[in-house]
Amino acid sequence: MAKYLTAGIFLLISLSLSAQRITGSVNEQIESNLKPITGANVYWSGTSQATATDTSGKFSIPRSAQSNLLVVSFVGFRNDTIKIGAESELQIVLQNDQTLGEVTVRGSSSSIDRLSPHQSEIITTRALAKAACCNLSESFETNASVSVSYSDAVTGSKQIQMLGLNGTYIQTNVENIPSIRGLASTFGLNFVPGTWIQSIDVGKGAGSVVNGYESMTGQINVELQKSDSREKLYLNTYVNNFGRAEINLNLAHQLNKKWSTGLLTHGSTLRNRIDKNGDGFLDLPLYTQYNAINRWKYQGEKVMAQFGVKALYEDRLGGQKDFKHEMRGTTQAYGFGARVNRYEFFSKVARLFPDQPYKGLGFIVNASVHDSKSYFGLNNYDGRQKTLYGNLIYQSIIGNTNHTYKTGLSYLLDNYNEQYRSISLKRNESVPGAFFEYTYNNLDKFVVVAGGRVDFHNLYGTQWTPRLHLKYKLTEQTILRASTGKGFRVSNPLAEYYGNLVSSRDVLFREAIRPEVSWNYGASVTQEFKIGNMSGNLIVDYYRTNFENQLVADLEDPRYIKFYNLPGKAYANSFQAEANITPIRRFELKLAYRLFDVKQTLKNNLDEPVLLPRMMVSRDRVLFNAGYSLPYDKWKFDFTVQWNGKKRIPYMGTMPEHHVPTDLPSTMAPSFYNLNAQITRTFPKWDVYLGGENLANFRQKNPIMGASEPFGQHFDAGMAWGPVVGRMIYAGIRYKIVR
Amino acid sequence: MKKTILSILTILFLGLSTTFAADDKEIKIKTSAICEMCKERIERNLGLSKGVKESNLNLKDKVVTVKYNPDKTTPEAIKMTIINTGYDADGQIANQKAHNKLPECCRKTAAAH
Repeated sequence: MAKYLTAGIFLLISLSLSAQRITGSVNEQIESNLKPITGANVYWSGTSQATATDTSGKFSIPRSAQSNLLVVSFVGFRNDTIKIGAESELQIVLQNDQTLGEVTVRGSSSSIDRLSPHQSEIITTRALAKAACCNLSESFETNASVSVSYSDAVTGSKQIQMLGLNGTYIQTNVENIPSIRGLASTFGLNFVPGTWIQSIDVGKGAGSVVNGYESMTGQINVELQKSDSREKLYLNTYVNNFGRAEINLNLAHQLNKKWSTGLLTHGSTLRNRIDKNGDGFLDLPLYTQYNAINRWKYQGEKVMAQFGVKALYEDRLGGQKDFKHEMRGTTQAYGFGARVNRYEFFSKVARLFPDQPYKGLGFIVNASVHDSKSYFGLNNYDGRQKTLYGNLIYQSIIGNTNHTYKTGLSYLLDNYNEQYRSISLKRNESVPGAFFEYTYNNLDKFVVVAGGRVDFHNLYGTQWTPRLHLKYKLTEQTILRASTGKGFRVSNPLAEYYGNLVSSRDVLFREAIRPEVSWNYGASVTQEFKIGNMSGNLIVDYYRTNFENQLVADLEDPRYIKFYNLPGKAYANSFQAEANITPIRRFELKLAYRLFDVKQTLKNNLDEPVLLPRMMVSRDRVLFNAGYSLPYDKWKFDFTVQWNGKKRIPYMGTMPEHHVPTDLPSTMAPSFYNLNAQITRTFPKWDVYLGGENLANFRQKNPIMGASEPFGQHFDAGMAWGPVVGRMIYAGIRYKIVR
Repeated sequence: MKKTILSILTILFLGLSTTFAADDKEIKIKTSAICEMCKERIERNLGLSKGVKESNLNLKDKVVTVKYNPDKTTPEAIKMTIINTGYDADGQIANQKAHNKLPECCRKTAAAH
């Protein structure tokens, strides 16, 4: 629907930048003459600041601190949204809406962000509703750039991949606070329930320096439902054929003009013991999760403040079918258990300057404690992470709003304490840092974002992180983007390769692990097109990530999981082509193809470096999504097919005792399809949905190696490359009270 | 595998074809709508009610144009939906309870904005 946003805008740019008000006129075009429109609404998107045009079509509105998107609407004409930069005088020509039947505010389900200099895609509530289940890890089902990978056949943790690399290389923020990191990277994606999410912003390639140095392949920012949202109450219940039940309740309450409070809650459980593949192991772990956020928001003219608390409890139990919690520590049955407690406090304070909307001062503070206690058979693994994060951001302009900058100071304190069998890992990171990011924006035609940050790491010394983004609008329909940047992160081997601990492999740290350092380069072309009534876009992108150092988790030898620093080169090439087409109104099609070439240097048994394709990464992937809805979403149909190509998995045979071969052969896991579909029926207050995942009922045969002897030498549940459970059918109800 | 894809696509397109049924009637009803929020609320509630294909409210003259299937609904039922949403419909007065639940800006006492 991007055409609505841009059609027929003529901007007369005046460079008198001192003006604090936006003035202009709204007209309609009759043949070659402009006729003023009286009474058109002009307002700042998302705010209550509004005005209307007078009899000569003129308006005047003060600049808004909360929004730079000016919306002009008048019944019978297409709404126009204009991003206001430096200009203060506008001449707007509204386009007559020939198809008046559809003057409803309706975003398409996912959209490519045309304005952002970063290549990013926004997943809206509409797209999230396409896959009703269940949390952040499952929110990317209809997204071509992010895919879900299977980590193991026992713990039920899901990981995501982008640009051919693990989700740990993506910086995942919740409302701009780095959130799913450290020990939370194991199950963290399961800790953000789908119904809490308002939108997800997926950015590919190097990210902004404002949020830190950890983004390597991209950044994901999740916006949660707001306390001042119009949805006063939102209740979602969900149940599936495996017996998983889920309930979410969101409440938003406006206390008075300035204060609002919100409560997001989630409870879910699975109590059924399921073993469809008959290997004696539960296909899905039993689990219970309670999760809640309470937050408060103050919205004043000069100050905006938000603070809140989060609390989470999750208990998982998996392993052999008859395993009970009491059998822990015995060889009666193999069991897996994980208990996570997480508490978080966050606050955001912003000082606004109503007369200088380009100016702002923000301060973010976040403190969290993450405590996890797990066991895999006879092995225990306990981890605790305490984090304190602060970020002070100042934003202003240099001369005029073509030149803006963000600068600030940050501080990160991370305290890790992990114990796995006799291995004890303790670490205290204290990282003060400073950043500066300059943006040159020439009427959105040409945008440069150049940023850099310097961080003083107490353990690894001074880190310098430069990043650069370019955007060039070749024509109204064609946008070119390029980016490059450095990323730096300290890995947490046990939390990141958690699924591989469900095995008889011995964990070996062959040396002290150094931080991971990478450079990412990328370029993309976005082309919009229109054929008759059919509109669409085509996006082609290429990214390369080069590692200076990488954590190697060597699983080539079935007896060990060896951690060491990268002994040579490691890179990931990613090429993606994606077409989005809307052949008729409310009918959306997406077809995407992705090619990965991901290699990593490992040491063979003679300690010689060998460059090998990275395990568990499909070279090819195809995604097709079709969605159709009736007006007002009375009925909504959605269908997705994914085809995942072959991927390399390590050698799983027996090891000869005396003659260990230097290079072990590896195996290829076959390709497979994944089919999802969903139907939703909307009533004025209710939504009812019915859907299915993995409808082709594809299952990996024998996902657990040596399942019959879990305490033997050949047991390994960490080699899951496909779905472990078969077809899943679910149904649910959403109930909303809108203010 | 291919069969499953095909059958699901068929269902999808069947869904498509049902939307192009003929014999729709159109009715224009004067309402007491005030702002964009009113417009959204009335259009949505009408659009989701039985038999209604399309609804569009013109805020200039407050008239809502409704396209409907006469086999499934009647002009009276359509007016009732508007009344129960909290707005007047062609001189019939809004349901007071529903009207009281509307946000301040959408009530009849609200100043034009």
